[in-house]
Amino acid sequence: MSNGEEEKENSVVVEKVGGRSSITTCLSRYPLKFISPKKVGPSNIDAVWVYVLNYGGGIVSGDRILCKFSVGDACTMVLTTQGSTKVYKSVGSKCSHQILEARVGSNALLAIIPDPVTCFSTARYYQKQVFTLSSDSNLVIVDWITSGRHESGEKWDFDLYRSTNNIFFDDGQPLFLDTMLLEKDKFGLVKEHMLDYQVIAMIVLLGPKMQYIQNIVQDNVKRIMTEQLQNPSAALSNQKSKADFFMTKPTLVASCSVFGPKKIGLIVRVASVTTESVYKFLRHQLAPLEPMIGVPPYR
Amino acid sequence: MQTKEEKEEHRQPVFENSFLQWSQWQLLDSILPTGGFAHSFGLEAAVQSRIVSDSNDLKTFLIHVLENTGSLFLPFVYSTCTSPNMENWHNLDRILDATLTNEVGRKASISQGSALMRVASAVFSEMPSLKTMRDASLKLGTVTFHHAPIFGLTCGALGFDSTSSQRAYIFITMRDVISAATRLNLIGPLGAALLQHQVAPIAEVILEKWMNRDVEDACQTMPLLDTVQGCHGYLFSRLFSS
Repeated sequence: MSNGEEEKENSVVVEKVGGRSSITTCLSRYPLKFISPKKVGPSNIDAVWVYVLNYGGGIVSGDRILCKFSVGDACTMVLTTQGSTKVYKSVGSKCSHQILEARVGSNALLAIIPDPVTCFSTARYYQKQVFTLSSDSNLVIVDWITSGRHESGEKWDFDLYRSTNNIFFDDGQPLFLDTMLLEKDKFGLVKEHMLDYQVIAMIVLLGPKMQYIQNIVQDNVKRIMTEQLQNPSAALSNQKSKADFFMTKPTLVASCSVFGPKKIGLIVRVASVTTESVYKFLRHQLAPLEPMIGVPPYR
Repeated sequence: MQTKEEKEEHRQPVFENSFLQWSQWQLLDSILPTGGFAHSFGLEAAVQSRIVSDSNDLKTFLIHVLENTGSLFLPFVYSTCTSPNMENWHNLDRILDATLTNEVGRKASISQGSALMRVASAVFSEMPSLKTMRDASLKLGTVTFHHAPIFGLTCGALGFDSTSSQRAYIFITMRDVISAATRLNLIGPLGAALLQHQVAPIAEVILEKWMNRDVEDACQTMPLLDTVQGCHGYLFSRLFSS
């Protein structure tokens, strides 16, 4: 079993070897394992894929996991999972920690495109991801959580979920500081804040190579949401569905914000009633990454 | 018996204090032109997306906004109120600019902060430090003038203690959300006053939970509201700028 006190360090270093992005260091320790399949995409695409696997399918109460990633100049690395990361019930109210530190070099791309985190009832989970970038690094982060094991009737029933994503330039200037805290306490249940929404997702697209995708995503989200929002003239022209339209909340809410100097970053926030609709959203919005990483994400 | 001189000595600080109170009330008065009423804190987007459709929803929404205000902004108010120097303020201004990832909320914070700094340095002229800091910051050109740190700075200058400053920040947020609700016709003027009074004890609990925290602990606790507020720019017709 894992020892709650010890921090287990895992690391992957990707550098150019013979002109191709290659793994030069790969260390993983129980309960984590990194797998890097050779043939994820076509051979003309220069990208290293790393799958993060958890023994036992998830994170046990009290686990402290530290991962360090370094993506060298002009390299591409994709980090993903093979299913949702489960955070099991907490034992003796012990919190599980997962810390990720990543350096992304000049003109390099790191894409973190995992499945969602699912916290079981009473789980306590703390996640912190810190990124250090050059001014022309590229970064994709998908960070998302579902409300729990729906088949067991659990909805937002965990005790604590705290997720931090901080992005700094290599001179130490903060570019993006974001912490989301969902905590059950005596004043209220997370369920009450979420209404009927079961999934909260965040997508960050950053850097010069992402500009094109940022523009597509912004247009898409604007179109999706304009249809969902109350539009007086549209409502009048469609009397039949008017009553329903005014009664129900959108099943998926999404919004985009640009951030950083020269608007180099885009964040998309999503709240949805179903996990599947977020997978569909991610598949659609991130499809333009295919030429850079070899295969379309979430297929 | 006190001598006449002793009485005078006692009266002096009381007099200063009473004058400060006029300024403190003025800071919290809605007549102070800081532009708070141009903002709905996401309420308009919440109404148009049917997240808020009646006065019950409004009360829930208001409490959630206050909770998020407590967790995200109070650390900034607390820090500048207790260390009202320019270096600390500029550092917090930069951190808050990176923390407000929602563009709608970020722009609202900048416009209200700039307005407050302009008004406060002109109106509270007995506190020359405000004007000195504003002039020096404008010259630098790198300061974004976010609202919460400037509010803390002003509170500190006007002699609010740190708890009252943080309570005042929750108070003006509540005032502005409720004002927006009346203009969106969700609630009448009397209902608005009732709501404000009903929510006050809850706001006090929120204050106790989030006050006196470090800036490193600032966090979002209402991701759904943040997502909805981000939709403000997609609204077909808008009364408010956020």
